[in-house]
Amino acid sequence: MSQTITIDPVTRLEGHGKITIQLNGKGEVEDAHFHVTQVRGFERFSEGRPFYEMPSLMARICGICPVSHLIASAKACEAIMSVRIPHTAAQLRRVLNLAQMVQSHALSFFYLASPDLLLGMEADPKVRNILGVAAASPELGRAGIALRRFGQSIIEILGGKRIHPGWVVPGGVTEPLESAQRDKILAMIPEAYANLALALAAYKKIAGQFKHEIEVFANFPSNYLSLINEDESIEFTDGALRIVDATGTIIEDGMTASRYSEAIGEAVEPYSYTKFAYYKPLGYPAGSYRVGPLARLNIVKTMGTPEADAELIEFKQLASGPVESSFYYHHARLVEMLYGIEKIEQILADPRILEKHVRATAGVNRNEGAGQAEAPRGTLHHHYKVDDNGKMLWANLVIATGQNNKAMNLGVLQVAQSYVKGGKFTEGILNRVEAVVRTFDPCLSCSSHAAGQMPLEVLLLSAAGTVLDRVAR
Amino acid sequence: MTTSSPMGEAKTRCLVLACGNTLRSDDGVGPKLAEWATERFHENRDVRVVARQQWTPDLAEEIAAADSVLFVDASAKSRPGRVSLTAVPSNRGSGSTGSHHLEAHELIGLTRSLYGSIKSHAMLLTVGAASTQLGEEFSKPVEAALPRAQGLLEKAVLRFLAN
Repeated sequence: MSQTITIDPVTRLEGHGKITIQLNGKGEVEDAHFHVTQVRGFERFSEGRPFYEMPSLMARICGICPVSHLIASAKACEAIMSVRIPHTAAQLRRVLNLAQMVQSHALSFFYLASPDLLLGMEADPKVRNILGVAAASPELGRAGIALRRFGQSIIEILGGKRIHPGWVVPGGVTEPLESAQRDKILAMIPEAYANLALALAAYKKIAGQFKHEIEVFANFPSNYLSLINEDESIEFTDGALRIVDATGTIIEDGMTASRYSEAIGEAVEPYSYTKFAYYKPLGYPAGSYRVGPLARLNIVKTMGTPEADAELIEFKQLASGPVESSFYYHHARLVEMLYGIEKIEQILADPRILEKHVRATAGVNRNEGAGQAEAPRGTLHHHYKVDDNGKMLWANLVIATGQNNKAMNLGVLQVAQSYVKGGKFTEGILNRVEAVVRTFDPCLSCSSHAAGQMPLEVLLLSAAGTVLDRVAR
Repeated sequence: MTTSSPMGEAKTRCLVLACGNTLRSDDGVGPKLAEWATERFHENRDVRVVARQQWTPDLAEEIAAADSVLFVDASAKSRPGRVSLTAVPSNRGSGSTGSHHLEAHELIGLTRSLYGSIKSHAMLLTVGAASTQLGEEFSKPVEAALPRAQGLLEKAVLRFLAN
C-alpha cells in the first residue's frame, strides 16, 4: 500500500504552501509536490483601472519586494506611453531596487535560512529560529538586522516609507535626490560592508558541514534566465533577458520585455495555484528554468564591481559549468548583497545623481506595454493592454516563484527520495524538505498574488491517497 | 516625540511599540493608540512611537536604543474591550517557528541576546478584541474601551519618564 506525507504549513517562507509526499507500497517516495494554496487575482481586479495607477496597485502584491513590482509595472506603463525616462531617474530606481534586494536577501539569509545553517537541520525546532540564532551567534544576528535596516532605510530615504513607497511612477520618480539624502546613505555604507564580510565569512565556514544537503537540494541540470547588461554584467532594473541551458550555452539573448510572451509560456498543474513558466521552444517541462540569485550568477560574466567580482570568481569555481545545487542560492545571495552595496556607492558617487530632471510625461501612445525587472527572488514580468483612454483591459504577471516552480517541485522530490526511507518521517527530514523550498526564497504571495497567513504544511499519503501523517506548524 | 531611526541618534527614554492591522477591525487598536500617543507626546523628544503590522526581529535594535518599552496590541485571549497593563516576562521561552512575527517577550529576549540590553521597564498594554474580520471599524466593546486604554497608556509613559 502506498502512502502520502503532507507538510502543511511549510514554515519560514514568504507565503502559504503545502507539500505532499506520495509513498509506494514499499514505503519508498514515488512522487512529491509543492502546492501553493492561496489565490487572490490581481490581474483581474486591475481591469478597468487607469494604467497610471498600476505601479502603486501592483506593489501591494508583496510587502517584501514591492519595489520590483513598482519598477516592472512602471516600465510597462512607460512602454504604453512610449517614453524613455531621464538617466538620473533610471539610476535612482536602480539604487532603490538594489536597496530592496539587500534587505530582502538579508531577511532570507539571516532570518529564514540561518537557523538551519547555524544550528543544524536536526536542531530542536523550538530553538531553530531567529531567537536561537541570536543566542548562538549574536554577532551574526546583529549583522542581519543591520543589513535589513541598511536596505530599508535607503528605501525610506528615497521613497518616503519602508514598505510600498509611491515614489516610482510612470515616467520616472516623483522627487529628485537631495545632497543631504545622498550623504546619509553614503554614511551607512561602511557598516554595511563590515556586516556583509562577517556574513560571508560565517557562511563559508559553515557550508562545508552541509555536503549531503548540497548534493540533494534541487541539484540537477536546468536552464537559467535573468536580466543582463550588454557588457555581460549583472542587472536588476534594466538590460535584456538571457537564457542559458544546463551547460551554460546561451539559447536566448537580448530578449526585451515586448518579446517575452513570444518566448515564455505558462503551464498549469492541478495541484498548485501558481503557474509553471517555461521556455516555449523547448516545451513544458523541458523548457522549465530557474531564476533568482543562482540563475543570475550562473548567467553573468561579471558583477561589474570589484569586491563582488572577486566573490563571483570564487563562486564559479564551485562547478565547471553552471552551479546546479539550489543550496548555493544562499551563497549567491551574499555575493549579490555585496554587489548591491558596492553599486549603490558607485551610483551615488556620480554627481549627476542629484540632477533635478527625474520624470518624463506622456499620454497613451500604444495600447500594449510590457516591463521587466529583477526581484530579489527572480525575474518579474508585467504585461498590460489598455484602451485609447488608458483604461486597463488586461494584465498578465509572470513572477519569480512561478518560474522556479518546477525546480522547487523537483527539489522536494529529490530531498524526499534521499531522506525518507521505509515510510519513516522524522522532524529533521521534514525540515530538510522545507529547507529545499527555502533555498529559492519563494514568495507565495507574489506567485499567486494572494493574501492571508504565511505558513505551509506537509502531508504523507498512502498509495490509496489516505493521509498517514500531517505536520502543521 | 522623535521619529527618526534610533541608530546613531540619542537614546530614547520611552519607546511605544504598537502592533496591528488597521484593515482587520479590532486588530487595528494598537495602531489607533499609537496615533493617539503620537499626538499626545508630539512635543516630547524622550518618547518615540512606532506602529507596525507585525513585531519583527528588526525591532530589537529600536528596543535596545530605549530605556523603557511599552508594547501595545489587541488581544484575542482577553474579554472584548478588557484593557490590561502587565509587565512583560523576560524569561519565557519562545513558541515561534517562523521569523515574521514575534511576541513582546520574545522581542525582549532577542534584544537581550543580541545587544545585552536588559529591559527592566517593559510593559504590555492590551485591549481585548471582539472581531478581527476585514473592516476598518472597531467593535462596540473596543470603541468603548479606547478612553481607558489611552489613560493607561499615558500613565505608563509618564511613569517610565519619571523613573
